[in-house]
Amino acid sequence: MRKLFIYLATFFVVISILFTILPLGTIAFLPILLALVFSFLAFEKSAASLKKIPKILLVISALTLLVVVGKVVFVKDEVVVDKQFDQEKVDSKQEAVEELEGLE
Amino acid sequence: MKKILLALCLLFSFESGFSQIKPNEKLVYAASYKMSGMMTQLAQVSMQTETVNTSKKTYLHLSLEAVTFSKWDNFFKIRDLYESYVEPTTLKPSLYKRNIYEGGYTKSEKYVYKSDGRTIVCTTKKKNRPETTKTITVGSSSQDVMSIVYKLRTVDFKSFKPGQIKSFIIVFDQKEFPVSVKYMGKEKLSVANLGVKDCYKLSISAKTDVLKGKDKNLIWLTADAKKIPVQILFSIPVGTGLLKLAKASGI
Repeated sequence: MRKLFIYLATFFVVISILFTILPLGTIAFLPILLALVFSFLAFEKSAASLKKIPKILLVISALTLLVVVGKVVFVKDEVVVDKQFDQEKVDSKQEAVEELEGLE
Repeated sequence: MKKILLALCLLFSFESGFSQIKPNEKLVYAASYKMSGMMTQLAQVSMQTETVNTSKKTYLHLSLEAVTFSKWDNFFKIRDLYESYVEPTTLKPSLYKRNIYEGGYTKSEKYVYKSDGRTIVCTTKKKNRPETTKTITVGSSSQDVMSIVYKLRTVDFKSFKPGQIKSFIIVFDQKEFPVSVKYMGKEKLSVANLGVKDCYKLSISAKTDVLKGKDKNLIWLTADAKKIPVQILFSIPVGTGLLKLAKASGI
């Protein structure tokens, strides 16, 4: 059972790291929660001399949780000024006016 | 993203009538996408109107921009621009343009409406493919997907009863297809900088594989003369999305 919990915890820790890197917002809490649960269960099921791996998984899970909470709280949803896109809009409008002139 | 934007456009309907749409109106939405049962903020969608003058005519320029939030730009950058140049009172389109950039994929389309209102010259250019031109004939009441968004707001929903359905035709991807809108009644919604508003709740369905589910594609319009689209919920084959009005100006 301990091995199963370690495998599951490792799997969800990897997913948690991926979701933490990606800008998925609160969705990252799902794998992190599962990683924490399975890491804790693996920790509980491990003998005192075999707690190192579950402890590492727990720490990584906790760190990803901290990072995601920080991103949710401090990183705002905003768009950057895109000069190329702005220029494309201007060009598109100019081209449209010429096209409309041709229709009249 | 194409499906998402088409779904958004389909979440509107139209009816012949005179325009209540003013120039210099700007509506900004936050677009979210549902993943694993949770919504994540994905992009900003802006809809704007402005007057454009040529040497002989005045047009209303309707535009919709979809831009991913900066946190998404490194993973899947979206810069979509939909435009329609319409007659200001009837909202009849003369020119429709679509330029999309979605994660490296590009496509541009231009529909030039001939004076008979039924013939459209469609020019399309996809990434790494040559430009193609095709002439299609459509019904006289067909609208492009941009102008239909604004046509919706000319409909008098006061006279609608819950369950009442109206059918329409739109042109997208060089094809015509029917769209129907069902009036579902009124609901109160908290609307960005406008406070709590009574809203018309409408369900949209289309004979296309873009929209999924029964009464799962919904739009709420303020139940006043302006009929501002304040919330849009849509279900497409790849998930569920939500647009919420974040800011309205010039209304």
